[in-house]
Amino acid sequence: MKQEKKLTQREQEQLSEKQSQQTEARDFASAEELLRHDAGRTQVPPAIAKRLDESIQREPKPPKSWWKRITRG
Amino acid sequence: MGVESFVEDALTEPAAAHPPVLPSAPRDFAELYATHSRAVYYLALRYLGDHEKAEDATHDVFLKAYRKWDEFRGDSSHRTWLYRITVNHCLNLRQSWASRNLISNADDAVWETAPARTDSPLRVLETKELGQRIQGALEELPKEYRLLLLLVADEQLSYDEVAALTDQTADAVRGKLHRARKAFAVVFAKTA
Repeated sequence: MKQEKKLTQREQEQLSEKQSQQTEARDFASAEELLRHDAGRTQVPPAIAKRLDESIQREPKPPKSWWKRITRG
Repeated sequence: MGVESFVEDALTEPAAAHPPVLPSAPRDFAELYATHSRAVYYLALRYLGDHEKAEDATHDVFLKAYRKWDEFRGDSSHRTWLYRITVNHCLNLRQSWASRNLISNADDAVWETAPARTDSPLRVLETKELGQRIQGALEELPKEYRLLLLLVADEQLSYDEVAALTDQTADAVRGKLHRARKAFAVVFAKTA
């Protein structure tokens, strides 16, 4: 039973690996469409937000009127 | 609920409602980052062609935006305002490199004579290398074409906004865009 389960897991791993290696051909009507696709799959590195937050902590607090905070929601 | 109560509630909204990305920033600025950071990062990445420089540029752009956040008057959209900062920042960086390393862009005439059809689709395979292919093709283009394609690819920008960002008329953008598409098709085909 244990052997059978182990084989199944291996098969699943192989299947998953095979799927990840498969490539899909896609047509893009224009360079912009291709770039939009590329942008959509680009992830912003989380390190930027962390670093930016640290930089903001070092910044003097900007004077800000209360009504602007409300109108900007 | 009285006005005072509404004001106080709006100013002291629980921290849990804030996007978690920038806990030290005001909520509206954190939302600005959450909404536009991908667009800014992508523009910097593909314009500069380097992940680390794009990270630095995105950080610097949003820090500049943070410093000027209170001056933002809403004459343009947030996206256009951030792109203005990004484009200026990247142009300054590239000018600085060019003066040090004598970077030159390819001659426009190369694309004019290239036998590429712009009406045929770009067929690509979804691979990890696709980003590298796109980057390689963009690097071959004159930097003005590269910037135009990247800006026009953002559906949130109109031709007029792209024209304003690149200091030219919308008609000039349309004309150059045609050549930029052709140039991209030529060099992208070579990366296959």
